Amino acid sequence: MFRNLQLKKAPHKVAPDPGQLSLQRLIGDAALPISLHAINQLPRNIHQRLYRLLIPPGLLTRFDINAITWKGPDGDRHVELTAEAGTGTVRISAKHAADAPDPFLRLELADNSFNGIDLGLLVVGDPNGPRFQTDVDEAGRDTHFGTARRNLAEEERAMRAGLAPGQIRAGLKASSMIFHQLDIFLAFLSHQSIFLEPLTYASAWIFERRGFAYVRGHKLMDTIHHEFQPGGRLHQALDGNSPFRQPDQWRTVRGRAWAIQDGLLAALDMKWDGLRMVKQVGRQAGVETFPGAIY
Amino acid sequence: MTERLKITRAAELETLPVFRDFIEQACERAGIDPETRFALKLAVDEACTNVITHGYANMDPGSMILELKLDPQQVVITLTDFGHPFEPSEAPMPDLAAALEDRPTGGLGLYFIYSTMDEVDYQTSEDGNRLILTKRLPAQT
Repeated sequence: MFRNLQLKKAPHKVAPDPGQLSLQRLIGDAALPISLHAINQLPRNIHQRLYRLLIPPGLLTRFDINAITWKGPDGDRHVELTAEAGTGTVRISAKHAADAPDPFLRLELADNSFNGIDLGLLVVGDPNGPRFQTDVDEAGRDTHFGTARRNLAEEERAMRAGLAPGQIRAGLKASSMIFHQLDIFLAFLSHQSIFLEPLTYASAWIFERRGFAYVRGHKLMDTIHHEFQPGGRLHQALDGNSPFRQPDQWRTVRGRAWAIQDGLLAALDMKWDGLRMVKQVGRQAGVETFPGAIY
Repeated sequence: MTERLKITRAAELETLPVFRDFIEQACERAGIDPETRFALKLAVDEACTNVITHGYANMDPGSMILELKLDPQQVVITLTDFGHPFEPSEAPMPDLAAALEDRPTGGLGLYFIYSTMDEVDYQTSEDGNRLILTKRLPAQT
């Protein structure tokens, strides 16, 4: 789970905008990358046909949602697609029941300023599992995945239930399936790669396992791992002074992630910021900044 | 038979000995002669130093991916990074005939790469920068 917190809604194009190209030309040159902007310019009824490629059919059928019509057994549509003409952004959310409070899948992609594509948001949560109110503080304000504000009591409950920072529900163990599907979508659009900014240490670790490398932040991840070793400054900062800084937390990805969420990187005069990752289509970068990790 | 190997590390100077060891061990296992192994390590050292000092200048370093493709005829090394692109063909070759005091500091890295490799190719695109070094192997008798 991650979010690109600095997502540009209207990226400044530094290269010719494929959105200005005709569909005929895009189809004519199979190697020319197609932007989301160009797709969004197409007639609305084509959007679902194309963006259907983003969702693994098996994830939808797990909830009895038809992978083609996006309708559930009740006949209601369970997948919402937002792809407005004039924008380079697509948002998809899927609910297991039409009246469910939270989607089990939220996905957002956007053209970036280098004519590539950024994965701005990916949230996958088990709708049948317990919900933790880590997304709102005691006053009901949005915490923006715990980055702007925090709901400490709920975060502690979530941590004890085995969740990672930023999650409101346990995951669906579907990230492998989703990234495989993303590869197919990107290849279809003739894009060689996809970029993202990991929200948390845990999400960066998951993206490593899904084949991502770092555009920025590889050294930071190495430093974090090094300093969590016994004798390291992060290891020493796990002083038990808060539920999120217990001495044993250095041993696991989630333990480290919660401590970092709690501001532990201040011990290094650093903060969790500026990391950017890239996945090349069809390739596994093989990054492993926490060798032999326990999640 | 072709063997493919890969290692990914942060773009920092501490990575250089890791990559050197990786190349040495892989090539030794493949029966490649010590002179060729030395040339490959030298070229990769110089290429990585370029990526570290220029490609990732002024930013928290990202990844460098080193891929080795070993077959009986040649070794192909691909170095991928995601820093600022660099065009090796635009960099001036050093004037080795010039007097020592007239030569600028540095600038020999590319010379080493070009003089030790049989082919050097550099590609940059939205998904990173890729330096491809090819070293042909002496025919087995």
